[in-house]
Amino acid sequence: MRKREGYKSGIELLQGTLDMLILQTLRRGPQHGYGIGQAIRSGSGEVLQAETGSLYPALHRLEKQGWIKSEWKSSEHRQRAKYYQLTEAGKKQLISEHSRWKQLSAAIVRLMNPSEEGGDL
Amino acid sequence: MSLGLERLFHRKRSDQELDEEIQAHLAMATHDRIELGEDPQAAALAARREFGNRALIQETTREMWGWSALTTFWQDVRYALRGMRRSPGFTAVAVLSMALGIGANTAIFSLINALMLRTLPVHDPGRLVELLFKAPRQDHFNAFDWRNYQHYRENNHVFSGLIAASDTPFTIRGAGLEPETVRGGFVSTNYFSTLGVNPVLGRLIGPEDGSPGSPANVAVVSWSYWQNRFNSDRAIVGRQISDGNQPLTIVGVAPRGFAGLEPANPQDIWLPLTASQPGNATTAQYWLKLAARLKPGVSIGQARAEMSVLWQWTLEQEFKANDDRTVREWKMEVQPAGAGLSHLRDQFGKPALVLMAVAALLLLIACANIASLLLARGAARRREMAVRVALGAGRLRLLRQELTEAVLLSASGALLGILLANWGTGLLVRIMGSGRQRVELQAHPDLVVLLFTAGIAILTGILFGLAPAWQSFRSAPMSFLRESARAGETRGRRLFGRSLVVAQLALSVALLSAASLFVHHLSQLQHLDLGFQRDHVLLVNLNTAGSGYDGVRLSRANQELLGRLEAIPGVRSATMCGYFPMAGVGAMRPATVEGYQAKPGERRFLSQNWVAPHYFATFGIPLLMGRDFSSQDQGRPRVAIVNQTLVRYFFGGGNPIGRHIVFDGDSQPFEIVGVVGDAKSGDLQEQASRFVYFNSFQMSRNSSQFALRTSVEPEAVADDVRRVVRGLLKTVAVGKVTTLDGQVDGAIVPERLSALLSGLFSALGAVLAALGLYGLLAYTVARRINEIGIRVALGATRTDITRMVLREAFGMSAAGLAIGVLLAYWGKRFVASLIPGLPVQSVVPIVFGAAVMVALALLAAYTPARRAARVSPMEALRYE
Repeated sequence: MRKREGYKSGIELLQGTLDMLILQTLRRGPQHGYGIGQAIRSGSGEVLQAETGSLYPALHRLEKQGWIKSEWKSSEHRQRAKYYQLTEAGKKQLISEHSRWKQLSAAIVRLMNPSEEGGDL
Repeated sequence: MSLGLERLFHRKRSDQELDEEIQAHLAMATHDRIELGEDPQAAALAARREFGNRALIQETTREMWGWSALTTFWQDVRYALRGMRRSPGFTAVAVLSMALGIGANTAIFSLINALMLRTLPVHDPGRLVELLFKAPRQDHFNAFDWRNYQHYRENNHVFSGLIAASDTPFTIRGAGLEPETVRGGFVSTNYFSTLGVNPVLGRLIGPEDGSPGSPANVAVVSWSYWQNRFNSDRAIVGRQISDGNQPLTIVGVAPRGFAGLEPANPQDIWLPLTASQPGNATTAQYWLKLAARLKPGVSIGQARAEMSVLWQWTLEQEFKANDDRTVREWKMEVQPAGAGLSHLRDQFGKPALVLMAVAALLLLIACANIASLLLARGAARRREMAVRVALGAGRLRLLRQELTEAVLLSASGALLGILLANWGTGLLVRIMGSGRQRVELQAHPDLVVLLFTAGIAILTGILFGLAPAWQSFRSAPMSFLRESARAGETRGRRLFGRSLVVAQLALSVALLSAASLFVHHLSQLQHLDLGFQRDHVLLVNLNTAGSGYDGVRLSRANQELLGRLEAIPGVRSATMCGYFPMAGVGAMRPATVEGYQAKPGERRFLSQNWVAPHYFATFGIPLLMGRDFSSQDQGRPRVAIVNQTLVRYFFGGGNPIGRHIVFDGDSQPFEIVGVVGDAKSGDLQEQASRFVYFNSFQMSRNSSQFALRTSVEPEAVADDVRRVVRGLLKTVAVGKVTTLDGQVDGAIVPERLSALLSGLFSALGAVLAALGLYGLLAYTVARRINEIGIRVALGATRTDITRMVLREAFGMSAAGLAIGVLLAYWGKRFVASLIPGLPVQSVVPIVFGAAVMVALALLAAYTPARRAARVSPMEALRYE
C-alpha cells in the first residue's frame, strides 16, 4: 500500500520528454515495455513515473515513426515479450531531442534562479 | 492507402499482439512482486491495479496506429449495412426509387454522351467543322455538289483541309466473301490526311488516287470489317474485290474505331471520289457531305464569314439555273463537328436535353421521397441518437454516419440503375433506329457515363442524407430524453417534412404537364389529315441490282408482278412508285404550266413522283376529277395527274383536265388527265406542295418500291409476297418489308421518343410523390393516435377526424399545385424554346397535370383518413 502511494507521488512527465527518455533508455540495448517503465523509474531515483497509459501509446507512436523497432523475444524469466530497440533514425532523433532538452532546461534554470545570472558559468 | 488497407486486414493480429504485450507486462510485474515476497494472488491484483484502465490504454494505443479514418469509415459502412438489413422494406423502397431515378438519368446521359460528347477518333477533333446548307423552314443538311466543293476548296483561306465524303452502299463481292451490301463512302483524296488518321496496314486513300476521269480502283476498309470478313488477315493489302462490275484493290486498313464521320452510321469501306460515276462530278447532284479542319489560329466565326462570301457564288449559280427567288433565302452554316456530323444530333439532341431535364426532375422527386423517409425513420431513432450523444458519441461522427448510410443507399441504387440504364439505352437506340435513318449508336455506358453516375449517386446521397443527418447532429440529448418517445415533434421539423412532400407534388405536376404536352403533340401529329389512309398498307422493297433484269424486260416483269400480287388473297390493290409517302425523299423540277404566266423570279418548282396504276387507290388518296393511270397509256401521248394545290395555284380552281405541263429541258408536254387530293409526301408538318404524278410504265421508269392495300393485317400477306416474287423473278431479292403505319411513325421518332419517355418518367414521379404523401399522412396519423382517441372521447365524430386528415392532405396538395403550376408554366417555355411546333398555347397539359395530381393526392389520403376515422378511444388508451 505504502509503496503504491509512493508511485503516485512521482512527478508526472512533461509532454514530449517521455519520448526522449524512452529513446535514452533503449540506448543501452533492447528492452520491453515493462522494463522501460522500470528503468525510467529506477534511473530517476524513483522520482519519475512513466504511466502505462502514456508509455504504450508512446512506444507504438515511436515505432510508427520509425525511431524504434520491435521483435518478440523471450525474457530472462522465459516470458515471451515484445522487445523494442533503437533504429539509426531513432539515434539521430535522440541527439536532436537531447540538445533541445538541454537548451530548454538551461533556460528554465536561468529563469528560476535569476540571482545566479552571470555567475559561475 | 494500400498500407492502410493492409493494416485494416491485419487489424485483428495487431489487436492480439497488443493484448499479448500487455499480458506480458502484467506477468512480469506480478513476477517482480512475488520475488519481493508478495502473495501470488495479491501480486497479480496489484499489478493489474498499477497498470490502470487496460481497455482505455489499448484504445489510446490503437489510435497511434494511424488508420482510424479508414477504420471508422469501415465501421460506418458496417453500421449502415446493419441498419439497412434491419429495415428491409425501407431499404428496398429507397434503393428501388434511387435505381429508377439514377437509371433514367444514366440512360439519357449515355445517349447525350454518344450523340454529342464523344469525339471522333481523329487527330484534334475540336478543330473539325462541317458545312451545312439551310433553306427557309427546313432543317439544315450537309449536302453539296462537286462544283461547289471544288469552288470552296480552291477559294477558301480558313481551312487547312476541306474534305468531301458520300454515304453510299456498295455491293461487295470477292473471293471468300459472301456478296453483301457494305456501308461506305466515296471520299476526297485529302480525307484521311485532313482527319489525321493513319493506317494500321497498307496505306489510306491519298493524292495518288487520281483525278476525275482517271480513276484509281482502290478501296480502304475499316478495322472491324478487316476483322470480321478477313479474320485480321495481314495479307489483305492487294486483295481483289468488286463493287457491282467495278473491280477494286484493297490498299489498306483504317485504324481501330474509325468508322467515318457519323458515329451512328458507321462506314466500313472507302473509295476515292474519282472512282465514282463520271457523271457525279459534272451534274448538280447534292450528294457530298463536307467537313473541314480549321487552320491554326482561325476561329469558327472567321470561317463563317469567309464561307458566307463563297456561298454567294453558289447562290448566283443556282439562281442562273433556276430563276427562282427563294434561292436567295438559302444560307450556309458552319458548325463544330468534333463529335461527328450533326444529322442525328439535330434530330435528337434537343429532345435528349429536354428528357435529361425530365429525368433530373424524377431524380429530385426520388431524393425528396427518400429524404422524407429517412427523416421519419430518424424521428423514430431520435432516442437512440440522444442516448449515443449523451454517452459521448462525437456529433460529427453521427453526422458522418448518417451521410454514409445515405450515400450507401444511393450507391446501391446507382449500381442497380446502371443495369437498368444499360438495358434502357439499348431500347432507346432501337427506337431511334426505327425511323428513316440507320442508327447504330454505341451508347453503352463508358467511363464518362460511369463517372457521371458515380457523381450523381454521391451528390444525391448527400442531398437526401443531409437533412436527417443535420437533425441528428442537432439533437439535444437531455431535452429529448426527458420527453416521452412519442412526444410531439418540433414545429420546424414538421414543416420540413411537409415541405419535402409539397416539393414532390409540385415537381410531379410539372413532370405530368411536360409529359402531357409531348403526348398531346404526338397525338396531334398522329391525327393529322395526311391525305392518305395510313392503315392496311404493306410496303415492299425489291433489290433488282445485279439480278439481270433491267429496262423493258424489268418493266414488263413488274407489270406482271403487280397482277400476281393483286391476286394474293387479302390484297385489294397493288402498285409501284418512285418513292413511298413519308420516306423522307422527294424530287422537284421547274416547269411551265399551260395558260399560266409566271412572274420573273417566281418559284416554278413542281414536286413529282412516278407511280403505277392503282397508286391512288392503294394509298387511299381520293381521285377528285378525271381518271387514274392505266396500262393503255403506254405508247400514247404523255399523261399526268396533279394534286388539288397545283390546280388551285395555276387554275384558280378551274378545270385543268386536258391542259398541259412542260418541264424545263424537256420538249414533250404532259396532258393532265386527273386531279387527286393533297397528300403529305415528306414530312407530317409540311405545307402541301404542287404535285405532279407520272405513269411509271408510260415513262419506262422502273422502281423497286411496291405497295399493297390489304383487307387483312398487312404483315399477314408478307410471306405470300415473298413467295410470289421468288416465283416470278428468281434473281430478285425481297428487301425491307414495312407498313405505311410504320413509315409514318418513322417520320416522328423524336416525338414518339419524347412522349414515351416523359410519360414513363412522369408516371414514376407521380407514383413516388403519391407514396410520399401517403407515407407522411400515415406516419402523422400513427403518431397522433393518442390525440385522435382523446378527441373521439371528447365527442369528435368520424367526419371531423376524416376532415382533419384530409385538411392536412389538402393543404399540402394545394401548395404543391400552386408551385407545380408555376413550375410547369416556366418549364413549358423552356421546352418550347428548344423544340418548335409544340402546342404550347394549350392549357390542357397543365390542367391535366394538376388534375392527375389532385386525384392521386386524394387516393393517397384515403387510407390514412380511414385509419384515423376508425380510431376508438379504447385503442388509443391501449396504445399508451
